[in-house]
Amino acid sequence: MSHEAVLHGDAHGHDDHGHHEHHDTFLTKYVFSQDHKMIAKQFLITGMVWAVLGGLMSVLFRLQLGYPDSTFPFLEDLLGKWAKGGRITPEAYYALVTTHGTVLVFFVLTAGLSGTFANFLIPLQIGARDMASPFMNMLSYWFFFAASIVMLSSMFVETGPFSGGWVAYPPLSALGDASPGSKTGMDLWLISMSLFVVSSLLGGLNYIATILNMRTKGMSMTRLPLTIWALFFTAVLGVLSFPVLLSGFILLIFDRNFGTSFYLSDIFVNGVGALPNEGGSAILYQHLFWFLGHPEVYIILLPALGMVSEIISINSRKPIFGYMAMVGSLFAIAILAFLVWAHHMFVTGLNPFLGSVFVLLTLLIAVPSVIKVFNWLTTLWKGNIRFTPAMLFAIGFVSLFISGGLTGIWLGNSALDIHLHDTYFVVAHFHIVMGVASMFGMYAGIYHWFPKMYGKQLNNTLGYIHFWVTIAGAYMIFWPMHYEGLAGMPRRYYDFSIWESFKQFGELNKFISLVSMIVFMVQLSFLFNFFYSIFKGRKLIDPNPWKSNTLEWTAPIHPGHGNWVGEIPEVHRWAYDYGKDGVDFIPQTTPVGADESQH
Amino acid sequence: MSHTAHHEENHGTGEIKKVTIILSVLTIVELILGFWMIGITSEALRLAIKGTIIILMLAKAFYIVAYFMHLKHELKNLIMTVVVPLSLFVWFIGAFLIDGNSFKNLRNTYDPYFKERSTIKVEKKAEGHGGSHAAGAAHGTADTTAHTKDTAAVENNH
Amino acid sequence: MSTATVDTTKSWSGGKSPFNVEYGKLMMWYFLMSDAFTFGAFLISYGTIRFSTNGWPDPNVVFKSFPFAPEGVNAPLVFVSVMTFILIVSSVTMVLAVKAGQEMDKKSVVKYMIWTIIGGIAFLSCQAWEWNHLHHEGAWWGRNPFINADGTASSTNFTNYFFTITGFHGFHVFTGVVINIIMLIMTLLDKFEQRGHYLMIEKAGLYWHFVDLVWVFVFTCFYLV
Repeated sequence: MSHEAVLHGDAHGHDDHGHHEHHDTFLTKYVFSQDHKMIAKQFLITGMVWAVLGGLMSVLFRLQLGYPDSTFPFLEDLLGKWAKGGRITPEAYYALVTTHGTVLVFFVLTAGLSGTFANFLIPLQIGARDMASPFMNMLSYWFFFAASIVMLSSMFVETGPFSGGWVAYPPLSALGDASPGSKTGMDLWLISMSLFVVSSLLGGLNYIATILNMRTKGMSMTRLPLTIWALFFTAVLGVLSFPVLLSGFILLIFDRNFGTSFYLSDIFVNGVGALPNEGGSAILYQHLFWFLGHPEVYIILLPALGMVSEIISINSRKPIFGYMAMVGSLFAIAILAFLVWAHHMFVTGLNPFLGSVFVLLTLLIAVPSVIKVFNWLTTLWKGNIRFTPAMLFAIGFVSLFISGGLTGIWLGNSALDIHLHDTYFVVAHFHIVMGVASMFGMYAGIYHWFPKMYGKQLNNTLGYIHFWVTIAGAYMIFWPMHYEGLAGMPRRYYDFSIWESFKQFGELNKFISLVSMIVFMVQLSFLFNFFYSIFKGRKLIDPNPWKSNTLEWTAPIHPGHGNWVGEIPEVHRWAYDYGKDGVDFIPQTTPVGADESQH
Repeated sequence: MSHTAHHEENHGTGEIKKVTIILSVLTIVELILGFWMIGITSEALRLAIKGTIIILMLAKAFYIVAYFMHLKHELKNLIMTVVVPLSLFVWFIGAFLIDGNSFKNLRNTYDPYFKERSTIKVEKKAEGHGGSHAAGAAHGTADTTAHTKDTAAVENNH
Repeated sequence: MSTATVDTTKSWSGGKSPFNVEYGKLMMWYFLMSDAFTFGAFLISYGTIRFSTNGWPDPNVVFKSFPFAPEGVNAPLVFVSVMTFILIVSSVTMVLAVKAGQEMDKKSVVKYMIWTIIGGIAFLSCQAWEWNHLHHEGAWWGRNPFINADGTASSTNFTNYFFTITGFHGFHVFTGVVINIIMLIMTLLDKFEQRGHYLMIEKAGLYWHFVDLVWVFVFTCFYLV
């Protein structure tokens, strides 16, 4: 709680003094900026750096999975002792898989997605000068940055980064001697993740307070764009679930450093109880982890759901179908997210009766998800669709959400899960429904709001290539994995070629690896498009390029710190008056006409 | 300005005194129950007392949040946004404890080592810390009696 | 949906806080809510381990000492009741400080803040004594000299959780004392008089009551049941 806290006293405070122009130095404008738009860009670009690193890691371990018998001399040049003789060592393979998971889940799809779009869109779309506490917002980014640096440094320690899977289950994470990565790498991983929790709490509290308190006149909750609703529930999920992870990590830190045994039970080495641990329960860690872990899935997914709803409505030139149902299903998903965590733990020896309750609750998630899907489809129905790259990615998201969500119904059944657990079926499921789908949401958001961020347009041709290769690639990579998983091929294995039963998938694995490399290259073309367009892109002439209703397009093309010159616009209607009474679009700021039809 | 709006009704020192007394009484009742429980061996009665203590605990929590933290005097919507998310604790606590209990039953049924060790009586209270027995010897052997866990743990700490 | 007819829920229609609360206090409430989940997770972990263990030490045997009392005194629950009352009293003085702040009564604010800080320090001292005492008896993280109520050997998780959770609570008390001292200094420097309100004291008060609230749960879980 600092001076700013009361300085900006209440909701109106910003009207009076939010807009004073003071001279920014390079440091206050680009580095320690308190402008939500700059902080959003910082989150986005840091997230992109991580996305490239995480993607590169996946290419490297796909190389091992696709070509387990080959050697690649360039790998030794790249990774040194981690790829002795041009073949990735098992330790390096596990480190790559672990870091890929951690980085993509937390740094790219949590910080990079909701960090970027919550920061950028919340004040602009609700009509506020900035976040409730710009200072805390800045801290949020810098905690994330610190977390990034610590995570990055863990890759350069002698024993390598943590290598026990992104879920960090004990005993691999609790016993320093369990694997090379369990030593310094794990300590750094825990420090990094703790910093990340602080970052997301600072951010989340700010988002909630801003959305509740700082909406402009007329912007009632039921007039909020769905993006804001989604980001609101995302923030609530984060604020309620990350603390539990923090507690879990604190206990883990004690187990590692202070001789406790919260998560360690009797551990026998060669039949003799050699370690002084007793009484703990490794399952307890899994409970605590997944109490965050499952809401985390929705922290990743909800921003994408919100942005996709908005983009589909704008580019179909039709009101979103079932606005209240959309909000209601977001709410239902947010609540259910907290009640289903143990479906990740069906084979841990979980009480079977408890398991069946978790099955029921898990399958309930299908209801709000399906409501959302049908509402998107009915929004598209007979729409006047504009296939912009953003729209394509939004439609791609719907496709992936359906095909990934359906396999979730399989996995949510505790009986089926005994067979499918820890196979490539799971890998396929969560990559499609959560990984790639959210990535598509993120791309849709970037293509859609890039003009607002930088006042330039992205190149459309590159955008189309990017979309078609990515969607085809995503299905080519992950669809075959379902069959591998059904055949029992387990995940997190270093080399399948030594098993007679998995040899048959050798060619398929090669194919998956090849496609993943191509898809990775195409993502680099997106990066080129992004950075090239910031400087050399087509200049935006129309401040409202998509003919959209929401408030952010009423701000100047290059909004200063404070977003609007003069008064903040007042809102008179919801965000989805497209094609109403034969008018293409009616911005939220337009007062309701006397002869306007009622809904 | 918003921050003066909710003080117009005067919930003054009288209320503070009243709540202080209620909290003190609740605590004293808890302590009395606690003392009473010392001599009781009946498992059912102990459970009943524990349940009563937990209800009293929740009552204390209510008075602190409602009056000391003024939540009762805030608008109803704010009360709801704070209290409703806390209802997640019901399933949070329930599922964790049920699975904890089930884990105990599993181990008692299928892990003879676990079962056996939890029936070994310790003859006398261990002499603080700093025993010099070998760390490994304290475990895995059936004749583990007086020198217990702490010995091994201490060894580990040094 | 789109028409701006008479709004029955005026407070939600934007342009002001729907709760009549400035955002700092709102954030403090939600922060406390999230912190409740931190403590909740700790206490639930403790409960889970207790439920998955066959025996557990009797708190009345473990916590039976009192400072300056002769060695071997059997006074279960006495010392912890003193600690509990210290925290309740400091909570009351905090309420009075907040109330004085609302009435812009600087002198009373200073007085009650000092009492609150003294209460906080007294609580921390008690905790320090208790930790020190238990440490001398051989208890620490990873060491447990106590035996289960039924006479069997106890696992170290009894002490592990005790020290971790009371330590985490003590850390919160310490933070609260530091915040209160800062508030006291700011009051003495007339910062709040200049601002025209004592909202910061209210927010510090929320945090302080939360610390008291957590103790209600810790006290019950470790000493009573």
